[in-house]
Amino acid sequence: MGSLAGIRAMWAIAWTDVRLLLRDRAAAFFTFVFPIIFAIFFGLVFGGDAKKGKIEIAVAQLDQGSLATEFVSSLKQMDGFNVTSVASEADGEKAVREGKASACIIIPGGFEKGLDSIFANGKGPEVPVLVDPSKAADTGLLQGRLMEQSFAMMAKSITQPERMKKQLQQARDMIAKSKDIDLSRKLMFGTLFQNIETFTNDANKPGEDGKPAFSDNALSGFSPMQFEMKDIRKQRIGPTNAYEVSLPQGIVWGLMGCVTAFVSTLARDRQRGTLVRLRSAPVSRWQIVGGKAMAGFVSCMLVQWLLIGIFAMFFGVRVPNPPMLIVATVFSACAFVGVMMFLAVIGRSGEGSAGFGRSVILIMALIGGGTLPVFFMPAFMKPVSMASPFKWSVDAIEGATWRGYDSQQMFLPLAVLAGVAIGGFVLGSMMFRRAMRE
Amino acid sequence: MLRLTNLRKSYGNIVAVDGISLEVRRGEVFGLLGPNGAGKSTTIGMSVGLITPDSGTVEIEGAGAPTTDRVRGHIGIAPQALAIYDDLSGTENLSLFGRLYGLGGRELKDRVHRVLDLVGLLPRSSDRAGGYSGGMKRRLNLAAALIHEPPLLLLDEPTAGVDPQSRNNILDTVRDLAKAGKTIIYTTHYMEEAQKLCDRVGIIDKGKLLCVGTVDELVMAHGGKSIVRIERAEKHERFETDAPVREISRVLAGADAGDPVTGVHIDRPNLESVFLGMTGRSLRD
Ligand SMILES: Nc1ncnc2c1ncn2[C@@H]1O[C@H](COP(=O)(O)OP(=O)(O)OP(=O)(O)O)[C@@H](O)[C@H]1O
Ligand SMILES: [Mg+2]
Repeated sequence: MGSLAGIRAMWAIAWTDVRLLLRDRAAAFFTFVFPIIFAIFFGLVFGGDAKKGKIEIAVAQLDQGSLATEFVSSLKQMDGFNVTSVASEADGEKAVREGKASACIIIPGGFEKGLDSIFANGKGPEVPVLVDPSKAADTGLLQGRLMEQSFAMMAKSITQPERMKKQLQQARDMIAKSKDIDLSRKLMFGTLFQNIETFTNDANKPGEDGKPAFSDNALSGFSPMQFEMKDIRKQRIGPTNAYEVSLPQGIVWGLMGCVTAFVSTLARDRQRGTLVRLRSAPVSRWQIVGGKAMAGFVSCMLVQWLLIGIFAMFFGVRVPNPPMLIVATVFSACAFVGVMMFLAVIGRSGEGSAGFGRSVILIMALIGGGTLPVFFMPAFMKPVSMASPFKWSVDAIEGATWRGYDSQQMFLPLAVLAGVAIGGFVLGSMMFRRAMRE
Repeated sequence: MLRLTNLRKSYGNIVAVDGISLEVRRGEVFGLLGPNGAGKSTTIGMSVGLITPDSGTVEIEGAGAPTTDRVRGHIGIAPQALAIYDDLSGTENLSLFGRLYGLGGRELKDRVHRVLDLVGLLPRSSDRAGGYSGGMKRRLNLAAALIHEPPLLLLDEPTAGVDPQSRNNILDTVRDLAKAGKTIIYTTHYMEEAQKLCDRVGIIDKGKLLCVGTVDELVMAHGGKSIVRIERAEKHERFETDAPVREISRVLAGADAGDPVTGVHIDRPNLESVFLGMTGRSLRD
C-alpha cells in the first residue's frame, strides 16, 4: 500500500478512536466538560479572593521636603489602596511592569516648588503616574482619589500662612516683572493678592468646628496638581485574571481525561479482538500505532483549544502570543500521546493496564498541578512535581499566556515535554508492537 | 488457493497446532471441524498471518505468505471473537474496515450498502452495533470480512452464539458467496453445518488434522456401518450393515405375516460418527 493510502488508513483508525471517545458519554464528560467546569469553579474561587484585596500602589518620593512627605503619608492613608514607597522611579516602573502594583505615583524633585508657584503658574506641580493599562478600573479609582488628595494638600499649603505669603510674593514678583501686564491689571492683582493674604490669615484661625474654614470645595474645576497618566506596558509576571490560573488546570484535567480514555479504548481494543482485526487488514503495526497516536493527539489538541477558546472568549483570558501557545499545546499534546502509548501497553492484559494507567495518570496530575497550582504547593512538593509531565505542560501554557515567557524561557518546559513525547512514544510503541504480536 | 504445510504452533506446553498440512482448492467451501481447543482458530490465525507459526509455511496461491499488505488484501477474515466497535453504527464499522483495505468515496459507500443488504442489516445500518442482538453482531462481523470483496474468506465459527434466524441468514450468505466463486474456509464444531455447507471437510483434534475429504468420502471411510432397526409387533431387530437399503429389502421380502413389520429406521453414519470412530470421543465433549 502506498504511503498516501497508509496515511488514509491511519486517519481512519484515528477518526474511529476520536469518535469512540466522543460517544462514550462518561469519557467525553470527563475529558471535555468536567475540565471546563473545574476551571470555571477554581477561577471563581481564586478570583473571589483577589477582588477583596486592596489596590496596590507604589509611590516614589523624589522630593524630600515636608510637604512632599506629608502628601505621601496622606496617600498612604487612603483606604482601599495599599500604598508602598519605592526608592526610585525605575523601581516603581518595575513594580507596575511586573504586575505588583497597578500604578506608581512619582513625586518629582520640584514638587514643593511647584506647589509654591501654584498661583504664579496657574497650575501646580506635575505628578507623573505610571499605570498598568490593563487595570483601568484600579487606576480610574486612583485618579479620583488623587484629585481629592491634591486639593486637601493645597488647602493645607494655603492654610500655612508662611507658605501662602511666599506663594503670593512669588506671584507679585512675577507680575511686577512682566511686560505683558499693564499697570491697571497689575494694581488689580495687587489688591487681589492683598485680599487673599488677609483671607488666608483669617482662614488659618480655626472655625467654629475647630477645622480650618477653607475647604477644597471652594476650588472646584481647578486642579492643584497635574497628574499625568503614563501607560506602562506590563510584563506578564503575574496572572491578571484568576481564570488565567485555572485554565491550565482545566487543561491538565482535559489531558488526563484524554489519556485515561485512550488507555481504556486501547485496553478494550486488545480485549475485544478489534486490535487483532485491525492487524489482519493490510496495514502495518506502525500505521495502527500511528493511528492511535494521531487520535490521542487530535483529542489532546481538541480539549486544550476548547478550553482556551472558551476562556479567551468568555472569561477574559488573554492570549498575547498565539504562535507560542500553539507550540505549547502541540508539545503538550505530543507528550501526553507519549504517556498514553506507554501506559496503554504497560500491563500484560488490557484491563490490567487500563487500571494501572488510570492510577498513574491521576497521581501525575495530582503532583503536577491538576488540583492545586504548583505555586500554591508546599515547598517540598515543588521538586516532586518536576517528575510529572503535567507540571511542564502547565508551565508551557502559562509561559505562553500570563507568564509571558520568551523563547529562551520556553525552552526548558518544551524540551521536557518533547523528551516525554519521544520517550513515551518509543517505549510505548515498542511495547505496543510486541503486545500486538502476542 | 491456500496451502498450509506442516504448520506448528505451541503456547508454552500447550501444542495448539501440531503439524497441519492442508490444501484448500479455489472455489470450494472447506470446513474445519473440531471440538473446542482443537486448534481451529490458531490455524486460521496463522493462515492470515496474525499468528507466526513456530514452523511450517502458509502460501496463498500466486501471492505468497500472508505477511505483506498486498497478500492480506486478498483475504477476508471474520474472527471468532467479534471484532466490531459497539459505539459505531453498522455503516461506520464497515466504512472503517473498507478504508483499511484502501477503499474510499463512492465505491466504499456502494460496497457498504451492498454488504449490509447481503447480511440483512440494512434496516439497522445506522444504529450502533452495541445495540444489535448477538446474531446481528455476528452478521456484521461477517460483513466486515466481505467489504473488500476478497477471493479468499476465512470464517471462524461464524454462527457461534447465534439464533436460528441469524444462523439461516449466515448459512445462506455463505452459500451465495460460494456460488459467486469465493474460496471459503469455515470452522465450526457443528457437524450439521459442515455437512450442509462444505464441499470438503477436515476433521481436526488436538492440533492434528485427522482426515480430509468430502462428507461422503469421510463417512464411507471412517463412519462405520449404518445401524438398521426393524420394528415388529413382537420381535424388534437391530443390526449393523454397510448396505442398509439392501438389507431392509431382504428383511421385508421375507417378512413373516404373523408378525408384520411396523417400522424401519436407518441410522446412517455421519461426521459425528467419523469423529467418534477416529478419536473414541464425541464432538461435543
Ligand atoms: N494466545 C494463546 N495463549 C495460550 N494458549 C493459547 C492461545 N491461543 C490458543 N491457545 C491454546 O491453543 C489451543 C488451541 O486453541 P484454538 O483457539 O486454536 O482452538 P479452537 O479450535 O479454535 O477452539 P474453539 O472451538 O473453542 O474456538 C487451546 O488449547 C488454547 O488453549
Ligand atoms: Mg476457535
